[in-house]
Amino acid sequence: MAQRTAAEQSPDDFEKVSENVPLNDISAADFAEIVRRHQSAVFSIALHFLADRSAAEELAQDVFLQLHANLATMKSEDHMKFWLRKVTAHRCIDYKRRRKLPQVSLDDAPEPAAPAHSTDPFLARRLRQYVGSLPEKPRLVMILRYQEDMPAEDIAEVLTMPLATVKSHLQRSLAMLREKVTRAIGEVSL
Amino acid sequence: MTDMNKQNRLEDALKHALHRQDAPEDFTQRVMARVTAQGIASAASPRFLANRLHPAAYPLGRSGRGRRRHDFRSPLLHRAPRTRSGEAAKQRLMLALRVAGSKLQLAKAKSTR
Repeated sequence: MAQRTAAEQSPDDFEKVSENVPLNDISAADFAEIVRRHQSAVFSIALHFLADRSAAEELAQDVFLQLHANLATMKSEDHMKFWLRKVTAHRCIDYKRRRKLPQVSLDDAPEPAAPAHSTDPFLARRLRQYVGSLPEKPRLVMILRYQEDMPAEDIAEVLTMPLATVKSHLQRSLAMLREKVTRAIGEVSL
Repeated sequence: MTDMNKQNRLEDALKHALHRQDAPEDFTQRVMARVTAQGIASAASPRFLANRLHPAAYPLGRSGRGRRRHDFRSPLLHRAPRTRSGEAAKQRLMLALRVAGSKLQLAKAKSTR
Protein backbone atom coordinates (compact mmCIF):
# COMPACT_ATOMS: atom_id res chain seq x y z
CA MET A 1 0.00 0.00 0.00
CA ALA A 2 1.40 3.39 -0.98
CA GLN A 3 2.29 5.68 1.88
CA ARG A 4 0.36 8.90 1.87
CA THR A 5 1.92 12.24 2.60
CA ALA A 6 0.98 14.31 5.63
CA ALA A 7 -0.69 16.81 3.36
CA GLU A 8 -2.95 14.05 2.08
CA GLN A 9 -3.71 12.91 5.60
CA SER A 10 -6.11 15.46 6.97
CA PRO A 11 -7.26 15.18 10.58
CA ASP A 12 -10.57 13.93 9.18
CA ASP A 13 -8.78 10.85 7.88
CA PHE A 14 -8.76 9.57 11.41
CA GLU A 15 -12.38 8.63 10.88
CA LYS A 16 -11.63 6.52 7.84
CA VAL A 17 -9.89 3.55 9.40
CA SER A 18 -11.81 0.41 8.57
CA GLU A 19 -14.57 -0.18 11.06
CA ASN A 20 -14.41 -3.87 10.23
CA VAL A 21 -11.12 -4.25 12.06
CA PRO A 22 -11.64 -5.54 15.60
CA LEU A 23 -9.04 -3.55 17.48
CA ASN A 24 -8.44 -6.11 20.17
CA ASP A 25 -7.42 -8.84 17.75
CA ILE A 26 -5.80 -7.48 14.65
CA SER A 27 -3.15 -8.76 12.31
CA ALA A 28 0.28 -7.23 11.86
CA ALA A 29 -0.83 -5.85 8.49
CA ASP A 30 -3.84 -4.14 10.07
CA PHE A 31 -1.71 -2.68 12.81
CA ALA A 32 0.79 -1.42 10.22
CA GLU A 33 -2.10 0.30 8.46
CA ILE A 34 -3.14 1.97 11.72
CA VAL A 35 0.44 3.17 12.19
CA ARG A 36 0.50 4.55 8.64
CA ARG A 37 -2.71 6.46 9.16
CA HIS A 38 -1.69 8.06 12.44
CA GLN A 39 2.06 8.39 12.15
CA SER A 40 2.18 11.91 10.72
CA ALA A 41 -0.06 13.27 13.49
CA VAL A 42 1.88 11.59 16.29
CA PHE A 43 5.27 12.34 14.77
CA SER A 44 4.36 16.00 14.11
CA ILE A 45 3.12 16.64 17.65
CA ALA A 46 6.43 15.29 18.94
CA LEU A 47 8.45 17.16 16.34
CA HIS A 48 6.80 20.51 17.00
CA PHE A 49 7.15 20.02 20.72
CA LEU A 50 10.74 18.72 20.82
CA ALA A 51 12.14 20.43 17.69
CA ASP A 52 14.35 17.38 17.19
CA ARG A 53 13.55 14.91 14.38
CA SER A 54 15.33 11.87 15.79
CA ALA A 55 13.91 12.40 19.27
CA ALA A 56 10.45 12.90 17.76
CA GLU A 57 10.76 9.66 15.78
CA GLU A 58 11.90 7.72 18.83
CA LEU A 59 9.05 9.10 20.88
CA ALA A 60 6.50 8.42 18.14
CA GLN A 61 7.71 4.82 17.84
CA ASP A 62 7.33 4.41 21.60
CA VAL A 63 3.77 5.71 21.38
CA PHE A 64 2.87 3.10 18.75
CA LEU A 65 4.51 0.33 20.76
CA GLN A 66 2.38 1.40 23.71
CA LEU A 67 -0.67 1.44 21.44
CA HIS A 68 0.11 -2.11 20.32
CA ALA A 69 0.31 -3.23 23.93
CA ASN A 70 -3.03 -1.53 24.68
CA LEU A 71 -5.01 -2.42 21.56
CA ALA A 72 -7.42 -4.53 23.56
CA THR A 73 -8.52 -1.46 25.51
CA MET A 74 -9.35 0.60 22.41
CA LYS A 75 -13.11 0.98 22.15
CA SER A 76 -13.39 2.82 18.85
CA GLU A 77 -11.46 4.77 16.26
CA ASP A 78 -12.29 8.02 18.05
CA HIS A 79 -11.07 6.55 21.30
CA MET A 80 -7.81 5.50 19.66
CA LYS A 81 -7.33 8.96 18.15
CA PHE A 82 -7.94 10.57 21.53
CA TRP A 83 -5.64 8.04 23.21
CA LEU A 84 -2.80 8.63 20.72
CA ARG A 85 -2.91 12.40 21.15
CA LYS A 86 -3.07 12.10 24.91
CA VAL A 87 -0.22 9.61 25.21
CA THR A 88 1.90 11.58 22.75
CA ALA A 89 1.33 14.81 24.65
CA HIS A 90 2.19 13.29 28.01
CA ARG A 91 5.21 11.47 26.63
CA CYS A 92 6.45 14.75 25.16
CA ILE A 93 6.34 16.39 28.58
CA ASP A 94 8.01 13.38 30.23
CA TYR A 95 10.70 13.28 27.56
CA LYS A 96 11.43 16.96 27.92
CA ARG A 97 11.64 16.72 31.69
CA ARG A 98 13.94 13.70 31.55
CA ARG A 99 16.29 15.03 28.91
CA LYS A 100 16.16 18.73 29.78
CA LEU A 101 16.59 19.75 26.15
CA PRO A 102 18.03 23.23 25.64
CA GLN A 103 15.42 25.87 24.93
CA VAL A 104 15.76 28.07 21.88
CA SER A 105 16.38 31.58 23.07
CA LEU A 106 14.37 34.21 21.26
CA ASP A 107 17.43 36.45 21.25
CA ASP A 108 19.35 33.80 19.31
CA ALA A 109 16.72 33.46 16.63
CA PRO A 110 18.01 34.93 13.36
CA GLU A 111 16.20 37.88 11.86
CA PRO A 112 14.28 37.20 8.65
CA ALA A 113 15.91 38.44 5.46
CA ALA A 114 12.79 40.07 4.09
CA PRO A 115 9.29 41.15 5.10
CA ALA A 116 7.03 38.16 5.23
CA HIS A 117 3.47 37.17 4.48
CA SER A 118 1.33 34.42 5.95
CA THR A 119 2.89 31.56 3.94
CA ASP A 120 6.42 32.89 4.13
CA PRO A 121 8.83 30.16 5.26
CA PHE A 122 10.73 32.70 7.36
CA LEU A 123 7.59 33.62 9.24
CA ALA A 124 6.70 29.94 9.62
CA ARG A 125 10.14 29.17 11.02
CA ARG A 126 9.97 32.15 13.33
CA LEU A 127 6.54 31.10 14.59
CA ARG A 128 7.78 27.54 15.23
CA GLN A 129 10.66 28.97 17.22
CA TYR A 130 8.32 31.13 19.27
CA VAL A 131 5.96 28.22 19.89
CA GLY A 132 8.98 26.10 20.82
CA SER A 133 10.02 28.68 23.38
CA LEU A 134 6.68 28.53 25.21
CA PRO A 135 6.46 26.59 28.48
CA GLU A 136 5.49 22.92 28.09
CA LYS A 137 1.73 23.07 28.65
CA PRO A 138 1.00 26.20 26.58
CA ARG A 139 3.22 24.78 23.84
CA LEU A 140 1.20 21.58 23.70
CA VAL A 141 -2.02 23.57 23.73
CA MET A 142 -0.84 25.57 20.71
CA ILE A 143 0.34 22.45 18.84
CA LEU A 144 -2.93 20.62 19.42
CA ARG A 145 -4.93 23.71 18.48
CA TYR A 146 -3.10 24.65 15.29
CA GLN A 147 -1.58 21.38 14.09
CA GLU A 148 -4.48 19.09 14.95
CA ASP A 149 -7.17 21.77 14.65
CA MET A 150 -8.66 20.67 17.96
CA PRO A 151 -11.26 22.75 19.80
CA ALA A 152 -10.36 23.95 23.29
CA GLU A 153 -12.77 21.47 24.88
CA ASP A 154 -10.97 18.49 23.33
CA ILE A 155 -7.56 19.90 24.25
CA ALA A 156 -8.71 20.22 27.83
CA GLU A 157 -9.72 16.56 27.80
CA VAL A 158 -6.51 15.34 26.18
CA LEU A 159 -4.29 17.31 28.56
CA THR A 160 -6.56 16.75 31.58
CA MET A 161 -6.68 20.47 32.15
CA PRO A 162 -9.57 22.82 32.98
CA LEU A 163 -11.15 24.40 29.90
CA ALA A 164 -10.55 27.87 31.30
CA THR A 165 -6.84 27.12 31.59
CA VAL A 166 -6.69 25.97 27.98
CA LYS A 167 -8.44 29.14 26.81
CA SER A 168 -6.15 31.24 28.94
CA HIS A 169 -3.06 29.52 27.50
CA LEU A 170 -4.35 30.12 23.98
CA GLN A 171 -5.09 33.79 24.55
CA ARG A 172 -1.81 34.51 26.31
CA SER A 173 0.27 32.57 23.80
CA LEU A 174 -1.40 34.29 20.86
CA ALA A 175 -0.87 37.70 22.43
CA MET A 176 2.78 36.87 23.09
CA LEU A 177 3.30 35.57 19.56
CA ARG A 178 1.64 38.62 18.05
CA GLU A 179 3.88 40.91 20.05
CA LYS A 180 7.05 38.97 19.17
CA VAL A 181 6.19 38.71 15.48
CA THR A 182 5.25 42.35 15.24
CA ARG A 183 8.46 43.38 16.96
CA ALA A 184 10.62 41.14 14.80
CA ILE A 185 8.97 41.30 11.42
CA GLY A 186 6.64 44.24 11.48
CA GLU A 187 2.97 45.02 11.51
CA VAL A 188 2.70 44.52 7.73
CA SER A 189 3.32 40.83 7.93
CA LEU A 190 0.14 39.94 9.78
CA MET B 1 -6.75 46.17 9.36
CA THR B 2 -9.14 45.23 12.15
CA ASP B 3 -8.02 43.30 15.21
CA MET B 4 -10.17 40.38 14.09
CA ASN B 5 -8.44 40.25 10.71
CA LYS B 6 -5.05 40.40 12.39
CA GLN B 7 -6.07 37.59 14.70
CA ASN B 8 -7.25 35.48 11.77
CA ARG B 9 -4.03 36.09 9.85
CA LEU B 10 -1.93 35.13 12.85
CA GLU B 11 -3.96 31.97 13.31
CA ASP B 12 -3.61 31.12 9.61
CA ALA B 13 0.13 31.65 9.84
CA LEU B 14 0.27 29.37 12.87
CA LYS B 15 -1.66 26.64 11.07
CA HIS B 16 0.79 26.91 8.21
CA ALA B 17 3.81 26.88 10.54
CA LEU B 18 2.53 23.94 12.57
CA HIS B 19 1.12 21.82 9.74
CA ARG B 20 1.67 18.09 9.95
CA GLN B 21 5.02 16.81 8.79
CA ASP B 22 5.58 13.46 7.12
CA ALA B 23 7.07 10.83 9.36
CA PRO B 24 10.33 9.34 8.05
CA GLU B 25 9.78 7.07 5.05
CA ASP B 26 10.43 3.76 6.80
CA PHE B 27 8.72 4.74 10.03
CA THR B 28 6.02 2.06 9.81
CA GLN B 29 8.55 -0.69 9.12
CA ARG B 30 10.65 0.39 12.10
CA VAL B 31 7.63 0.37 14.39
CA MET B 32 6.65 -3.09 13.15
CA ALA B 33 10.19 -4.35 13.64
CA ARG B 34 10.12 -3.11 17.22
CA VAL B 35 6.70 -4.66 17.79
CA THR B 36 8.02 -8.01 16.55
CA ALA B 37 11.22 -7.73 18.59
CA GLN B 38 9.24 -6.84 21.69
CA GLY B 39 7.00 -9.88 21.15
CA ILE B 40 10.04 -12.16 20.97
CA ALA B 41 11.64 -10.53 24.00
CA SER B 42 8.53 -10.86 26.13
CA ALA B 43 8.10 -14.48 25.02
CA ALA B 44 11.65 -15.18 26.25
CA SER B 45 11.19 -13.38 29.56
CA PRO B 46 11.80 -15.40 32.75
CA ARG B 47 8.24 -14.82 33.94
CA PHE B 48 6.82 -16.10 30.67
CA LEU B 49 9.03 -19.20 30.86
CA ALA B 50 8.10 -19.81 34.48
CA ASN B 51 4.43 -19.64 33.59
CA ARG B 52 4.84 -21.92 30.59
CA LEU B 53 6.91 -24.52 32.39
CA HIS B 54 4.80 -24.62 35.55
CA PRO B 55 2.87 -27.90 35.83
CA ALA B 56 -0.35 -25.95 36.14
CA ALA B 57 0.20 -24.70 32.63
CA TYR B 58 -0.32 -28.19 31.26
CA PRO B 59 -3.94 -29.15 30.74
CA LEU B 60 -5.09 -32.14 32.73
CA GLY B 61 -7.84 -34.54 31.84
CA ARG B 62 -10.31 -35.96 34.30
CA SER B 63 -8.84 -36.33 37.73
CA GLY B 64 -9.88 -38.30 40.76
CA ARG B 65 -10.50 -42.02 40.77
CA GLY B 66 -10.66 -42.33 37.03
CA ARG B 67 -7.79 -42.37 34.61
CA ARG B 68 -5.72 -39.24 34.88
CA ARG B 69 -4.83 -38.12 31.44
CA HIS B 70 -1.90 -35.82 31.02
CA ASP B 71 -1.67 -33.95 27.78
CA PHE B 72 2.01 -34.11 27.02
CA ARG B 73 1.76 -31.66 24.20
CA SER B 74 3.38 -28.42 25.10
CA PRO B 75 0.83 -25.67 25.67
CA LEU B 76 2.93 -23.70 23.26
CA LEU B 77 1.55 -25.81 20.42
CA HIS B 78 -1.87 -24.36 21.05
CA ARG B 79 -0.67 -20.84 20.62
CA ALA B 80 -0.74 -18.64 17.55
CA PRO B 81 1.97 -19.12 14.89
CA ARG B 82 3.55 -15.77 15.73
CA THR B 83 3.92 -16.73 19.36
CA ARG B 84 5.34 -20.08 18.32
CA SER B 85 7.96 -18.42 16.15
CA GLY B 86 8.84 -16.25 19.16
CA GLU B 87 9.10 -19.37 21.26
CA ALA B 88 11.37 -20.99 18.67
CA ALA B 89 13.61 -17.94 18.78
CA LYS B 90 13.64 -18.17 22.57
CA GLN B 91 14.63 -21.83 22.42
CA ARG B 92 17.52 -21.01 20.11
CA LEU B 93 18.59 -18.22 22.44
CA MET B 94 18.45 -20.52 25.46
CA LEU B 95 20.49 -23.14 23.61
CA ALA B 96 23.08 -20.53 22.65
CA LEU B 97 23.27 -19.40 26.27
CA ARG B 98 23.74 -22.97 27.48
CA VAL B 99 26.50 -23.59 24.91
CA ALA B 100 28.19 -20.34 25.84
CA GLY B 101 27.87 -21.20 29.54
CA SER B 102 29.40 -24.65 29.12
CA LYS B 103 32.27 -23.22 27.08
CA LEU B 104 32.85 -20.66 29.80
CA GLN B 105 32.92 -23.41 32.42
CA LEU B 106 35.39 -25.35 30.31
CA ALA B 107 37.66 -22.35 29.85
CA LYS B 108 37.46 -21.61 33.56
CA ALA B 109 38.37 -25.20 34.42
CA LYS B 110 41.34 -25.11 32.05
CA SER B 111 42.62 -21.85 33.46
CA THR B 112 42.49 -23.12 37.05
CA ARG B 113 44.48 -26.26 36.15
